Amino acid sequence: MSRLITWAAVLVAFVAVPFYLEGFWLQTGLFAMSAAVGAIGINLLTGATGQLSMGHAFFLAVGAYAYVSFSDDLGLPTPIAAVLAVLLAGVAGGLFSPIAGRLRGAYLGIATLALIFGGQHLLFNVEHVTGGFNGRAVPPLEIFGFAFADAPELILMNVPFGALERLWFLGGALLLLAALFARGVLRGRPGRAMNTIRDHEIAAGVMGVPVTRYRAGAFVLSSMYGGLAGVMLALVFQRTVPDYFGILLSLDYLAMIVIGGLGSVGGAVIGAVFVSLLPQLLTRYSDALPLVSAPGSGGVSPAEAARLLYGAAVVGVVLFLPGGLLGLLRSLRLRLPSLPTPLPDTRSSHVS
Amino acid sequence: MTVRFAGLTALDAVSFTVEPGTVHAVIGPNGAGKSTCFNVLSGVYRATTGSVRFGTAELTSLRPHEVAALGVARTFQNIALSPRLPVRDNLLLGRHRLTRAGFVASGLRLPGARREERAHLARVAEIAEFVGLGAHLASPVGLLPYGVQKRVELARALAMEPKLLLLDEPVAGMNSGERVEMAELIVSVKRSLGISILLVEHDMGMVMRLADRVTVLDFGKRIADGPPDEVRADPKVIGAYLGES
Amino acid sequence: MITFIELLVNGISIGAVYALIALGFVIIFKATEVVNFAHASLLLAGGYVVARLHPYVGFWLALLIGIAAAAVVGALVEFLVIRRSKAANHSVLAIVTIGVDIVLTTELTRRIGTEVLAMGDPWESGVVHLGPITIAQTRIAALVVAALLITAFLLAFKFTGWGVAMRATAEDPETAALMGVRLGRVSLSAWAVAGGLAAVAALFLCVFPTPGLDRSSSLAALKAFPAAILGGLDSTTGALVGGLVVGVTEALMTGYQNDLAFLGRGIGDVAPFLVMIVILLLRPAGLFGTKELARV
Repeated sequence: MSRLITWAAVLVAFVAVPFYLEGFWLQTGLFAMSAAVGAIGINLLTGATGQLSMGHAFFLAVGAYAYVSFSDDLGLPTPIAAVLAVLLAGVAGGLFSPIAGRLRGAYLGIATLALIFGGQHLLFNVEHVTGGFNGRAVPPLEIFGFAFADAPELILMNVPFGALERLWFLGGALLLLAALFARGVLRGRPGRAMNTIRDHEIAAGVMGVPVTRYRAGAFVLSSMYGGLAGVMLALVFQRTVPDYFGILLSLDYLAMIVIGGLGSVGGAVIGAVFVSLLPQLLTRYSDALPLVSAPGSGGVSPAEAARLLYGAAVVGVVLFLPGGLLGLLRSLRLRLPSLPTPLPDTRSSHVS
Repeated sequence: MTVRFAGLTALDAVSFTVEPGTVHAVIGPNGAGKSTCFNVLSGVYRATTGSVRFGTAELTSLRPHEVAALGVARTFQNIALSPRLPVRDNLLLGRHRLTRAGFVASGLRLPGARREERAHLARVAEIAEFVGLGAHLASPVGLLPYGVQKRVELARALAMEPKLLLLDEPVAGMNSGERVEMAELIVSVKRSLGISILLVEHDMGMVMRLADRVTVLDFGKRIADGPPDEVRADPKVIGAYLGES
Repeated sequence: MITFIELLVNGISIGAVYALIALGFVIIFKATEVVNFAHASLLLAGGYVVARLHPYVGFWLALLIGIAAAAVVGALVEFLVIRRSKAANHSVLAIVTIGVDIVLTTELTRRIGTEVLAMGDPWESGVVHLGPITIAQTRIAALVVAALLITAFLLAFKFTGWGVAMRATAEDPETAALMGVRLGRVSLSAWAVAGGLAAVAALFLCVFPTPGLDRSSSLAALKAFPAAILGGLDSTTGALVGGLVVGVTEALMTGYQNDLAFLGRGIGDVAPFLVMIVILLLRPAGLFGTKELARV
């Protein structure tokens, strides 16, 4: 019962946001939602299966650019372009599976650097598809005549509903679906196989799990999540630029899942929110914060301060908080006897 | 079969046969090649020469999951469970080869996947009860005492519904009470489930009590093979254990 | 033909520098089983110290201090982070080094800003003529220094007590500890040595024809990762061969990029990664890596 009330409150708050908060926060929130989808994907691979990937940004790029190209170059309806973009990211992951299936753990991490550097090379050189250095404008999504754009004008309860307000709900729905799907995978037969591969690869094989195939499968699935995150990001940002999809983005994703909590959906979401919001908050309130100064003034810029903070957070979490922020929240809840305490479930958790 | 690692011959032309429905023990001093032998049988290592047959199937070049698919289960000498998962999930992993739900079916929680999960959960609960783990189903394995974890190992192997069960030192590191319990459990597995068992063990008392037939390895070679009493009296075996030649 | 020989010599020289980085990476892996993603930032730290100090103390002293500084940074990472991490999972340990890398690289690139820092080396843009072939002095210096360091390292690895302790630990840490090897010291020294080697590499990555140390220098260092893995993460021989393969491939692809225009601009930077993928497809454990035998 109390869980139902919590969920209802979350839903009401979520619906209320576009009516009260300005565009800056909506955009930040949408970036966080896209990041959460991508982080769930890499948590399926790195957190649940123990396979490190530095190439996640590549799959975001595949999703983002494929969406643009399918809708603008091939003239496909935008929802179909979006679905195909996600599938194409999966295909790209599948093409890498001879390596993703056979290399384990950190070895795969190094091998996936090739995706980042190869990907950057393609983004800058295949100009007729990617637009080269300048990137491409992203056509707005249009589902059954409803455009996720500023025009045509739409006003709800005296609040103008532009692209960000409309995308807010789409982003929320996509995140919810992505989270539920991942939770199903983690709690079901594939999730158990993935966890055992992480904990004891040989035992997994002996228990009947085809290890190579599952590693490749987890890689493909995580690529598709990356692709979806890329499509969402493109829709919010309205432009794709190649520089963005570099190694720093991949490192951000790894930071998210470590900080939030490895191997669970909730951990990925919390980490994504933390890592996406931190630079924005620091930028917004840089005047009021000590040590942080405006960009270009020679001091520590907000973006740099954010990177320093979450780099340190990654180290701190691994050293002192093995369960990540999610684990911390759980143990705090366990200390408060008045709240219902669900059984500790280390694999997956509710979306918060 | 023969197994070599970079010039080191770990197993040298060792052969034996496990009769259906019996407990067959492989014993020998440390480094005799018992674990290597197990790893070959379960597909973890590959024999350099020779062959492993299970009924009519040829196991020699199969990979571990293919061996498992034929109904060969094993436990590990050092615990190889997922410590953070509850006992229930560790046992459900044993059902992997008997279940079908893939990424899509589990992700979308299709009715078929949910039905399958429920059915196999019921069977896992039965197995846990049989092994004496009924009370621990929801506990994360890592929080359980060592002796109980060893039993989870056995239960996970049983959850595979195997025809042949390979037990790698099932009582290693246990106290005498736990040893007796485990021995009784192994007897009842053989009696009530009719599973053939291949056992590697150091505890000679237990081997002599449980085994229908014993194979003795020393330095990778088979030095004796026969019923327990016969093997116990064999001077070569006594020599190997006392360090004479 | 002359172009080819020049490119080949340059490739071998830069390859020897990559080999220095890869060697450090492999030593850390052998001693602590950590895949060190912070390696590029160790390199950047060493290079930064050299670039900042040489106007004040002269090049050679600055180089020594830079090497010492990178060694200290490496040792600190081991002492403060790796040693204290209880994570059993090696992927998680690798991610900790990513955290360290984020912090170090962010701070160093912030300090470098938009500047391009000269290294103050004595070779500058001088060249040597060998008949029709022209080679930059820096390339020759790099080759000689890298060859000396690698030889010294391999001899130490084979014959000194430290080398024996290191190899014993890589083989079987528990037994090594029982035989009196101090594991803490072994891993600390591995990180320090790797840091020092990276600082030397930083110097040669940032001298002529490269304009100097700038914020993208750590990206150049990332090419040592494919060098380490294509040779085999646990093989010192592999690191050397891997470094040379990467260096020569890069130099040739860059040198002939006009003839390879269909592959796009800057193919030389990507080529090492493509070679790595091809080799991993054929040999997942790398050219000289041992296929790990599981002990269960």
